[in-house]
Amino acid sequence: MLRRILSVASNTFRETIRNKILYAILAFALFVIGMTFFLADLSVGDFARIIADVGLASIQIFGVIMAVFLGINLVSNEVERKTIYILLSKPVRRFEFIFGKTLGLSVTLLLTTLAMATVLFLVHLSYRYGGRAEVGIFIASAGIFMELVLLTCLASLFSTFTTPVLSAIFTLSLFLVGHLTKYLYVLGEQSKGAAVRWGSRFLFFLLPNLENFNFKNEVAYGGLSSFSILGWAAGYLVCYAVCVLCLSCFLFARKDFK
Amino acid sequence: MIRQGTVLAIEGLSKSYPTGFWRKPVCVLSDLSCEVRENEIVGFLGPNGAGKTTTIKILNRLAFPDAGKVTLFGGVVPDGADVRRRIGFMPEQPYFYEYLTGGEFLRLCGQLCGMSRADTESRSSELLARVGLSGSRGTAIRKYSKGMMQRLGLAQSLLHDPELVILDEPMSGLDPMGRMEVRGIIRDLKAAGKTVFFSSHILSDVEALCDRVIMLHKGRKVAEGRVEELIGAETLYIELVVSPVLPADRLAAAGIPPEAGYAQGALLVLRAPDNGRANRWIAGLLREGCAIISCVPMKKNLEEIFMERVESSGTTGAVS
Repeated sequence: MLRRILSVASNTFRETIRNKILYAILAFALFVIGMTFFLADLSVGDFARIIADVGLASIQIFGVIMAVFLGINLVSNEVERKTIYILLSKPVRRFEFIFGKTLGLSVTLLLTTLAMATVLFLVHLSYRYGGRAEVGIFIASAGIFMELVLLTCLASLFSTFTTPVLSAIFTLSLFLVGHLTKYLYVLGEQSKGAAVRWGSRFLFFLLPNLENFNFKNEVAYGGLSSFSILGWAAGYLVCYAVCVLCLSCFLFARKDFK
Repeated sequence: MIRQGTVLAIEGLSKSYPTGFWRKPVCVLSDLSCEVRENEIVGFLGPNGAGKTTTIKILNRLAFPDAGKVTLFGGVVPDGADVRRRIGFMPEQPYFYEYLTGGEFLRLCGQLCGMSRADTESRSSELLARVGLSGSRGTAIRKYSKGMMQRLGLAQSLLHDPELVILDEPMSGLDPMGRMEVRGIIRDLKAAGKTVFFSSHILSDVEALCDRVIMLHKGRKVAEGRVEELIGAETLYIELVVSPVLPADRLAAAGIPPEAGYAQGALLVLRAPDNGRANRWIAGLLREGCAIISCVPMKKNLEEIFMERVESSGTTGAVS
């Protein structure tokens, strides 16, 4: 089983890294991150903080673009191009296919996030003229990567039953909502109606809480130096991603290919 | 009850697809039952839209039936890897990952089938040579022609040396040479003890290859049997080809009615309704100084049988 998942994953990885659009997005992302070096000169205040702040925001935005763009086509491309016919006629179970595709894309996102974080780290390091390098950039980038993995799982879930355009809309909507769920909870708790309170609590636990992966502020204000902070985020990611992938497998298990 | 030696048994298979929220679903398969026995070549015949591809998709878990069941190697079509390893499948107009080369694609197939790297490499070389793609092993699939894709599709279906090979329209998109090669491969598979189940709407290919045929029309089985049984022993007429073309008066002198033949270039083609008349006509033609080029007893072909069965089953429609 593991070998088949890894075979599907390595093929997906190969597919995504041979995608020219991915390189175009990555090149633009690296350019923007590199430009933060000059942006700091134009701003007032803590220059290193601005580099970290803008750079990490760039990593997140471009990472989300890559995750959504590649994630929505994860299953639908295989169905549309009918390559899935050959894959599923082999001794590959449908859940192995879903897990393999998601794993393959996650590896691609890991490499692209790492590339962007490394460039930001170098920009940050060079701006400080040899001062203390900010390891927090990598910690915050790890958080962004986890968020991207979760978005990939959601995009692959949507791509099992709807079109790529709708998958993109749903995934981006959840990205936006995922950063606002705590406000939903707070607003719900202020309500006098029990139904509204319970409804908001239900949505708070149902929707992804992407703020669990957000360490950008801690890095910008220099308060993050240990990777141990990622433990809770990693636990949340595993639980949520497994649930989403199980739902994807359930929906995909009885899908007819016309 | 499934007989011993049955590789594939289909019982009461029905399938319909939804066409919209308000519209009625379209029935593409209706109560189909048939079986394929060990070491047989079975042709699955029918015009476009007959339900052949849907049946084949159900056999490969790409679609699920509304009713009925499929039994492969004695077990109801399962999700299990063990059964899948015994089946090779080539879809109609196969599509592949265009960013891979032919060799890389076969390596991926080998990994998915649980083959070792060494086995995959040796089988790939052997099969690529067999389908005439040895020189294109390192070429990106996006540069392959339609015929090359079809050949690669055949190679991947045979890579893991399956016992049952299911081919959906294996001859489509191939030139006459390619079709002949595929026929040769199918015959070799039978000689190696494999079972082949393939769909086609090219009846002449099926007639040349198959031990048995299953004919499908509008989702229903209209005939099933051995090719020689379906064609039968009855001779429809005897076709005589003679030279030169005789004028009507000399034909009459040879005892042949003018409406019994037609000129085809420098040749005269005659259709004698029975052996007795064919013998008398030959004697008369020789008297008139004609040379007999050929004398062939003509039997029904599968195409005629198919049309007959479709008409008698009352499911007439466009037949390609």
